[in-house]
Amino acid sequence: MYIQVRALKNMKVVTGVVGNDIHVVANRLLELSLDARGYEVFNLGVNTYLEEFFDAVVETGADVLMISSLNGEAEGWSREVQLLKAKYKHLDNLIMMIGGNLVVGTGSAEDIIPKYKNYGFDIVCHQVDLNTGLDQLEAFIEERVVNDSDIKESNK
Amino acid sequence: MSSAAIETNQDSNNRDEKLLIDVGSTYFKLSTDDNLEQHFRDFNKDILDDLMQKCGDTIAGFAKKDVHICSSANGGLTTLIVGISHTFSLKYATNIAFNSGINIIDTVLYQDIEDYSIPSDLIDVVIIVGGINSNGGVFSSRLYDYLAQLHYSNIVFVGNEIDAPTVEENIDHVVILPNIIDNRLHIVEDHLSDYLTHLYQQDIEGKEDVKNLYNITSNQIYPTPYIVNKTLPLIDAKFSVVNPFILLDIGGATTDIHYSKDLVDDNLVSENEYDRLVFKKLGVYKSKQSLIFAAKNNEFVYELLMHLKVTENIFEEQSKKATKILMQLAIFLVLCKISHYRKAYINIKLLSLNSIVLTGGITKVLIREEIEDIISFFYKKILNSEHNPVTVLDSHYDIWTLEAASLKERGKKLCQ
Ligand code: B12
Repeated sequence: MYIQVRALKNMKVVTGVVGNDIHVVANRLLELSLDARGYEVFNLGVNTYLEEFFDAVVETGADVLMISSLNGEAEGWSREVQLLKAKYKHLDNLIMMIGGNLVVGTGSAEDIIPKYKNYGFDIVCHQVDLNTGLDQLEAFIEERVVNDSDIKESNK
Repeated sequence: MSSAAIETNQDSNNRDEKLLIDVGSTYFKLSTDDNLEQHFRDFNKDILDDLMQKCGDTIAGFAKKDVHICSSANGGLTTLIVGISHTFSLKYATNIAFNSGINIIDTVLYQDIEDYSIPSDLIDVVIIVGGINSNGGVFSSRLYDYLAQLHYSNIVFVGNEIDAPTVEENIDHVVILPNIIDNRLHIVEDHLSDYLTHLYQQDIEGKEDVKNLYNITSNQIYPTPYIVNKTLPLIDAKFSVVNPFILLDIGGATTDIHYSKDLVDDNLVSENEYDRLVFKKLGVYKSKQSLIFAAKNNEFVYELLMHLKVTENIFEEQSKKATKILMQLAIFLVLCKISHYRKAYINIKLLSLNSIVLTGGITKVLIREEIEDIISFFYKKILNSEHNPVTVLDSHYDIWTLEAASLKERGKKLCQ
């Protein structure tokens, strides 16, 4: 709904690195890439707690929350996502995305992706480079728009 | 009475010396270059009458232009804040309000607005905030329905620009100021801070009691907490205080805490070196009952009482010993409230703290050892640490008199 009214590329994205993680390089690159693709970016930087992410979405009216995690903390925080998000009353349409190193050590995408989807993420990018990740986001958004208009059609 | 005050002022024989007067909720203090007086207030009397009776001789020695007065007499203004998130709108407005000397009676998260009970007291100012300027449609009739049930004297909107016109249409006498959240989600303090400081100022001046004080001064009367916060950067001129530090002013009605910004990990980035925090119902005279209530609800207090070799019967006693214990408890409770042990508006990193400065009546009642005893009890029991910040006692109210240095300067600024 949200998304249809706003031109695809004018969407707002809140991003940052979760928890006590201070790996800043990817975060900077992410901001630049999102900006270049026409998104309005709100970068909370490194060291960002889950509540700050959701609160920033509320204050900005963002369409996408894009969390980055590099140092292995991702899973610990992700387990709390559903619980915390449930406290917010207007985040149902929020697109949730996470990327970076999503496990400690090594792991396969087949195991990791379903796990994180269960935690409440729509798009999961374990050790996927930025541009591939952002292409996935675009594809997801387009698909959602198509689905929404299908629903509208069938309601007519 | 007032004409007597004017006459005495004209007898001025001190040249450059200044008389500083701080009118608190419990007592007032007078300071000259070489003397400091402190008196309990008589609440059956007008402040000026009380003051003239107790210190008329001192006051008589000064011309009106050399008398500077600040006041926190009625505990300051109260505010209720409605915001849309804890981390941004509510936190930013809370920070600005505290730093402007305002006490917060409640913060309301807009999405759950119907779940909050309606405060019955008259609120001096309601603050509404939420959304960056490009995020409109945040507020609706739910806000107006809630406000209709409140009793307030002033109301100010410092949220997103898009909603401002509708808010203005729907709320009588609302003051619209620029958003306190900018487009990068950073805080913008100045407009709201100036507005609140002026309100406080007006409130002080509007009180009959305080108005009478203009009989003995020709200078503007300021809110005490506002001045204290602004003078903290001067603190090392008087003490060997090692940064970062906190300043505890445990008063009769409320407790003020001023802290170095380095002591909080925060998404709130501002230019202030120090921030203020207030516990409204924590004090040793007017707020004694609520202090005792808080103490009884703290799981460590019985251990503390045991450590101090008293029982809870002490709460019923009226003695010097009882006052001492109450003050020691107050220190302990304040430290608990700002530590990670309790989740509050902010948590101060007490393990990084180098000095604890205590000011106010407490320094007249407790000796250093009694204070240090509580502080180390707190660190051991609550934080499991041997950390021991240096305790600095401001027994001569140097911090408060430091204000004098910047009073004039500030006066000019505020009046502009
Ligand atoms: C530089 C670095 C540091 C620096 C960080 C400096 C700084 N302020 O940024 C320092 C020395 C401080 C550091 C510290 C630590 N590090 Co380090 N660090 C690295 C290192 C060598 C490079 C990271 C980097 O900047 N890469 C360049 C950027 C551009 O690439 P990237 O981060 O991999 O991100 C890419 C993708 O993951 C993706 N991406 C990232 N986020 C997102 C988000 C989305 C949505 C999408 C789509 C894509 C995406 O896009 C990027 C470009 O393609 C990596 C190892 C490595 N070679 O990757 C370890 C590494 C990340 N660190 C690691 C660890 C363990 C630590 C420490 C815990 C070490 C310790 N024991 O103290 C601490 C943690 C500190 C903390 N609190 O976070 C581990 C993490 C292991 C894990 N997850 O299982 C790594 C992988 C090293 C390793 N192989 O063990 N580290």
